[in-house]
Amino acid sequence: MIRLLLSLLFGGVTALLLAFLQSTTPSYAILSRTFSVKVAKVLRTKTIAFAPYGKSIERQTEGVWLIVSVELQSNYDTMTIQAAAIEGASGRLYRQSHRADGAPRLMPSKDLQPGLPTTGIFIFELPEGETSDMTLVLSRQPSPQLDSEIRVKLDGASVETRDRVEIGANGV
Amino acid sequence: MASRRERRFWWASLASLPVLLAANYAIDAWRNAEDYVGRNELRVSGSVDGQTYAKASWTLNQARLIGDGRDGKITFPGQMRLVVVRLAAKAEDDVGQSWTQCSLTLTDPKGRRWQPLNFILSNDLSRDLDPKATPIDGCDAISRQPPAKGASTIMEEKFVVPADAVPSLSAQLSFASTRPDAISFPLRLN
Repeated sequence: MIRLLLSLLFGGVTALLLAFLQSTTPSYAILSRTFSVKVAKVLRTKTIAFAPYGKSIERQTEGVWLIVSVELQSNYDTMTIQAAAIEGASGRLYRQSHRADGAPRLMPSKDLQPGLPTTGIFIFELPEGETSDMTLVLSRQPSPQLDSEIRVKLDGASVETRDRVEIGANGV
Repeated sequence: MASRRERRFWWASLASLPVLLAANYAIDAWRNAEDYVGRNELRVSGSVDGQTYAKASWTLNQARLIGDGRDGKITFPGQMRLVVVRLAAKAEDDVGQSWTQCSLTLTDPKGRRWQPLNFILSNDLSRDLDPKATPIDGCDAISRQPPAKGASTIMEEKFVVPADAVPSLSAQLSFASTRPDAISFPLRLN
């Protein structure tokens, strides 16, 4: 009887400890076997502006632009991030917008070299209602697969809203 | 109602299903294993002078470390360094297709592997480092036009690596015809 009670107590304490560890894990620094990501800044705006070839371009949206500034690091091999998406409040996945192609410091165009953290941005366009609960999904493969995928819950309180965001050579 | 012959065929088909599935699984596994072995460098040996590999003898012609201010007085931000590796090869036989799918990478003892920069960036850097010099082709370009028997050639690749990895880097060379075997050249950069 005592042995049974001790086992139950031990199981309960272990479960509590694991729940505590899970709740205190920061969402901004996530590791996978192949790469790691740290979300530095998340901006929400109606208008983005950038100058790909010296000529200024301004893009507006009826939804919102979401600009996610990240620091990425490859663990073993030279690699690129092949797929990035935002999972919105409805569960739909929004891949990167091609309307922002040519913006400086876009992450997909960069090689990640092992041991060298690389900073850059991802740009998404999504309906406003989806921004109440968002998860950033990054993958080494074109389609997210098992250990090459990282999911980062974006904390709504840390999302900064601006009227217009200018994307320069140094990012946002 | 099915005839006796049909019933016999039906049972024979059913009985052969597990055998066929197992055979299919084994053939797929064999093909995947072959593919894995053909893509990965599983056996790496140090390069020995005079040793023939992929029908040529190979030597490390040059290894340059750029970015810490000592070579070319160029300094790169933070931990970033540029390593330029030049290999010389002398064809000991008719190379033919032996150099296809050439792979020249840098590795360190922690198991990290750096791929070379793409040829556009590599050529731009060559011109920045020495505007008068003609950029030297990389592994992939040379493999399409290998030297004739008895002739020699040089290939060059550039890599971006962190400073802490520099002292322990090795260049690793392999081809589709030689994998899973690869040869390694310690760079001894300090």
